[in-house]
This record gives sequence, C-alpha cells and structure tokens, in this order.
Amino acid sequence: MRTADEFPLDPAIVARLEAIDATLAGEPVDPAYAEVAELALLLSAERPQPRPEFAAELDAAVERRFRRAPGVSVPGPRGGGRARSWWANAWMASGGLAAALAAVIAAVIVIGGGGSPSGPPPRVLLPLRGAPLNGAASTAVGASAGASGSPAGRLGAAGGAKAAAPTTTTPGATRSAGTLATPGAARSSATPGAARSSATPGAANAPLAAPATFGPAGVQSVSPPANGRKTIQSAQLALITSPGRIDAVAQEAFGVIGAESGIVRHSTVTATGGSDGYAELQLSVPSGNLAQLMNRLSQLRYAHVGSRTDSSQDVNDQYLVDVRRLADARALRTSLLKRLATATTQAQVDGLRAQIRDAEASIASDEATLASLNKQVNLSQVDVTISAGAVPVGPPSPGPSGFTLGRAAHDAGRVLTVAAGVALIALAALVPTGLVVALVAWIALVLRRRGREQALDSV
Amino acid sequence: MDAGPGRSGNVIESPASPAGDTAAWARFEALYRASRDDVYAYVCTLLRDPAGAEDVTALAFERAFRRRRSFDRRRGEERAWLFGIARNAALDELRRRRRLATLLADPEAERAGNEDDGEVALRRTAVREALQRMSARDRELIALKFHAGLTNAELAKVLGVSESNAGTMLHRTIEKLRKACHANG
Repeated sequence: MRTADEFPLDPAIVARLEAIDATLAGEPVDPAYAEVAELALLLSAERPQPRPEFAAELDAAVERRFRRAPGVSVPGPRGGGRARSWWANAWMASGGLAAALAAVIAAVIVIGGGGSPSGPPPRVLLPLRGAPLNGAASTAVGASAGASGSPAGRLGAAGGAKAAAPTTTTPGATRSAGTLATPGAARSSATPGAARSSATPGAANAPLAAPATFGPAGVQSVSPPANGRKTIQSAQLALITSPGRIDAVAQEAFGVIGAESGIVRHSTVTATGGSDGYAELQLSVPSGNLAQLMNRLSQLRYAHVGSRTDSSQDVNDQYLVDVRRLADARALRTSLLKRLATATTQAQVDGLRAQIRDAEASIASDEATLASLNKQVNLSQVDVTISAGAVPVGPPSPGPSGFTLGRAAHDAGRVLTVAAGVALIALAALVPTGLVVALVAWIALVLRRRGREQALDSV
Repeated sequence: MDAGPGRSGNVIESPASPAGDTAAWARFEALYRASRDDVYAYVCTLLRDPAGAEDVTALAFERAFRRRRSFDRRRGEERAWLFGIARNAALDELRRRRRLATLLADPEAERAGNEDDGEVALRRTAVREALQRMSARDRELIALKFHAGLTNAELAKVLGVSESNAGTMLHRTIEKLRKACHANG
C-alpha cells in the first residue's frame, strides 16, 4: 500500500483518469469515456452532505476557535478526545519525568563528587620533605643560612634577628616531630582546611586568584587558645608555585620571616626552572608572631598553599613541675648554706659542702631544663617547603576592594567550566533516556499506524 | 460562517503568511471554508455513519486548528495535510468501533426512499449498492476522489503513496466498481 515506487502509468489509464477529472471539473469528455464519465457523475452525486445544524454548530465552534463555551456542546469524538488527552498527558509526563531524572542524576553526581566540576583538579603533591635535589642539574641559589650572601644571612641583617645557625635539625624540631603530622598526614589534614578556608573572609581576600578549593590560601591559624598556659607551637607549610618562581617565592618568604622577627635556622633553595625546583626553610619565630607569619606566608603573591599543619602541645604541667623542682632545689641550697654557717666541725662542713654542690648542680640542671622549655614555648618551629607545580598564574595584588578584572575573568571561567560540566553530566543522562524515549515513540507510532491500517482492512 | 462547497479540488489560496497567529488563523479559516463539506463527505463515506462522521469531522478540524502552526508547506499542500488528519481521526474511530463492536447504522437505507424514479434512479441504486459492497480501502479512494474532490497528487499524499501508484489504485477501484454496477444492473 505504502510503496513509493514511481512507474509510468499506462496511457489508457491516464486517459481514463483525465476523463474523470474533466467530468468532475464540468469539462467536455471524449465520447469514448462516456461510461466512466457517467460513473464519475453518479459517484459524485452520492456525496453525503452534512446536516445544516451540524454545519452551523461546527461554524460556531470554529468562530470560537474551539474554546468550550458554557452550555454549548462542541461536536467532538466520543472517546477520541479523551484518548488523545491521555496520550498527550502520558507523553508530557514521561518527558518531564525523564528531565527530572536527568537532573537528579546530575545533582547526585555533582554533590557526590564523582567527577565533581567544583572539586579540586587533580594535581601531584610534591613531597614536603626529602624532595629530590638534583645537584647536577640544579643551581643552588641559597645554601645554609650561615653562608655569606644567603637569603637567611640577609634576613638576619634586615630583620635584626639573632644570627642563624647553619644547623640541620634542632632538638626542637625533633621534639615537635612527635606532635606534628607526617607529611602525608599533613596533606590529608590540610584538606579540611581547604574547605574551611573557602568560607573564611581571609580566603576571599587572598591575593591569589586561585579557587579556595585549590589551596587553603589565607587560612587562619588553627590552634587551641593558650589561656595563659604554656604551649609549644609548631607548623608546617607546603607552598606550590610555578617552576620559574621558586627563588622569587623563597625570597618573598624570607622577607616575611624577617618582618615577623623569625629566624631561618636552615634553608635550601634549588631553582631549576623545572618541576623539580624545591625550597625548604626551617624557621624559629616568636610564638606571638606565629599566626601572623603563617597567614602572610599563606598569602604570598605567586604561591598557593598545598597543605598546612598547625600543631600545639600543652607543657604547662611540665613547666610547673620544673619550676617547683627548681624552687625546691634553691630552698635546699639555702637551707644547706644556713646549716653550713652554723657548722662547728670540719666533717659537718665537708658534708654540707658536698650536699650544696649537688644542690647547685640540680639547680643548674633544672634551670637549663626550664630555659629550654621557655625557649620552646617562646619560639615556634616552622617548616616551609616551596615546590614547583601546577598553579594558576598569580595576578597582581588586588586593589583595596579585592576585585580585579583578572579575578573576575578567572571566576567567570570557573563558573562556565562548572556549568559546562553540569551540562555535560546532564547530557550524559539525557541522551540515553532520550534515545529510549525516541525508540518507544517510534515503535508506538508504527504500531498506531499499523493499527489504523488494520482497522481499514477489517471494515 | 458560510462554508462553501469547495469542490474545485484546487489548493486554497492562502493569505500572505507573515509570522504570527493572525496569519495562521486566516489560513486555517480559509482552509475550513473550502474543506468542511469535503471532509465530512469523505469521513461519512468511509464510516458509513453520519453521526460518527460529524464527530470525526469536528475532531479533525479541531486537531488541524491545534496543529496549524506545525504545518509545513514543503511537505505538501494544506488540503492533503488536512485530509491526512481527517483520515487518522476516521481510522481511529474505526478502531474504536471495532473494539466496542458497535453495530453501524446503514445511512444508505435512510436515503433509499428519497430517490427519483426511472433510469437514473436505477443506476444510482446500482452504484450505491456496489459502493456498499466495496472494501473500506476502495471506498476510501472513491470518497477521497469523488466526494472530497482531491486531485490525484493530493490523494497520493493522503494515502502516503506515489502519484502514479495512487492513479493505478484509483483506476482499479473504478474498474471494480464499474463491473459491480454491471453485475447489479
């Protein structure tokens, strides 16, 4: 029935069909086709005519543009309208359902973080410690702080700090190692900090335009309140910068350290221009300046924070014990001295002098212990590493308002990236759904068409 | 509104078609005026039920009205488009009736007593009876050609076949009818 093949008609058939058309058009017909013409006229005369009432009713419905008027019955199908309405509603509902399903899937994927467009981009964290120092390929621009012309040496002059000793590892660093997280742990512990920093005003005012999720730039110091108790504080900070800016960032860090009266105990800066560039700084800083120092180091212009670890250890009890022991030793010595003054025999004098020596040794030991503890409390140990890695190019320092064209462009790009990601995820859910819906629609259409044709055959 | 018979078989002259509802409405109204009775005649012949034909005709025009913006002239003329809608509606009605197993009234019986006497009346009766005995497919062809006044090209569009195929089908149907009339006569 529904073949689309074209083939030339028999001229005789064409002539008969033309005779029919001429008859219907009221034109004269060749007498040879009189029978066909008569049949055409008879068939045409059998044409059913609509009732005038129906015609008027339909005219009125058309005038109303098929809007249902109250009290007026519009001629319509008996059940056909309902069937079509049900069909249309079902398709509309299924379409809406598919769109909602796609939206839910996209939302779940985005919120769940699987390929989250707002999550941190994959990056390689360089080791905080023990970074490869390629002596052959690298150019050491800074050695130990004691070297002449070294940044730390300049720092000592500029900051007016005490002369830094070119030591490798201090007892303080060893002691604090027990409280500091390992490098791996430091990274993991810095992750919540990254999330936290995105909500802090400090992050918003960070000079870097890097997204808050990329690095905890501008994080505030996280340490329990001292409340007048003696605490030992330490921190580790891993900065990431572009390969060509290792020395510049290190130099800027030295400036900040000097400004905060810090002491660079050990520093190594290896600038290679490649991804193996590395700098490591070991600092002591007055504990009162630790928070400010960490904040300023976290906001260096061309670096962003890869990880940051703040540690604190309460040594108040130990301090009190040491103070009490020292007081006891001093009291003992005073008592011994008094007894020595009243001693009458040489044996008594000798015995008391020996005890006084022991007491003085104990006092000296206790004083040293207390001094060491005070030093640890007053000077916090900070390890700073600067690694080369993927980092967005640092824009110039923001103006007073904190809004720059570069940052706006970056934010706009970020928004577009996230939007494109969400759209891609939604598309990934919608395309298969759409294909299934299209297939079902096509099958339904074919079945419907076949059903109609069968209805024609069955009459 | 006075709908003319519209038996010219020509495509209606559509008004200039600026985008917008007014133009679409004007085009639909012109189509309605030219095709109302033709659609009814076609549907009535196909269904053999005047009441059902009225419902289906109204439904067809309502569907056409709702879809008037989706009409694409590149896919055919408006009359063919309209009769396609009417055909689908009529076939849906036939399907519904088949499901409900409704007994159809015979409209021809109602008209039997109103005919003239004589030779013409005999011939008409023969044609009518032959038409009654024809299959729905053949009856549809007759209705589209002689009652709705479609051209062969429009007929082909409505049925979804080529024009030459439609001509062949029409010729066979007329031959069948002619032989049936002879057999009756």
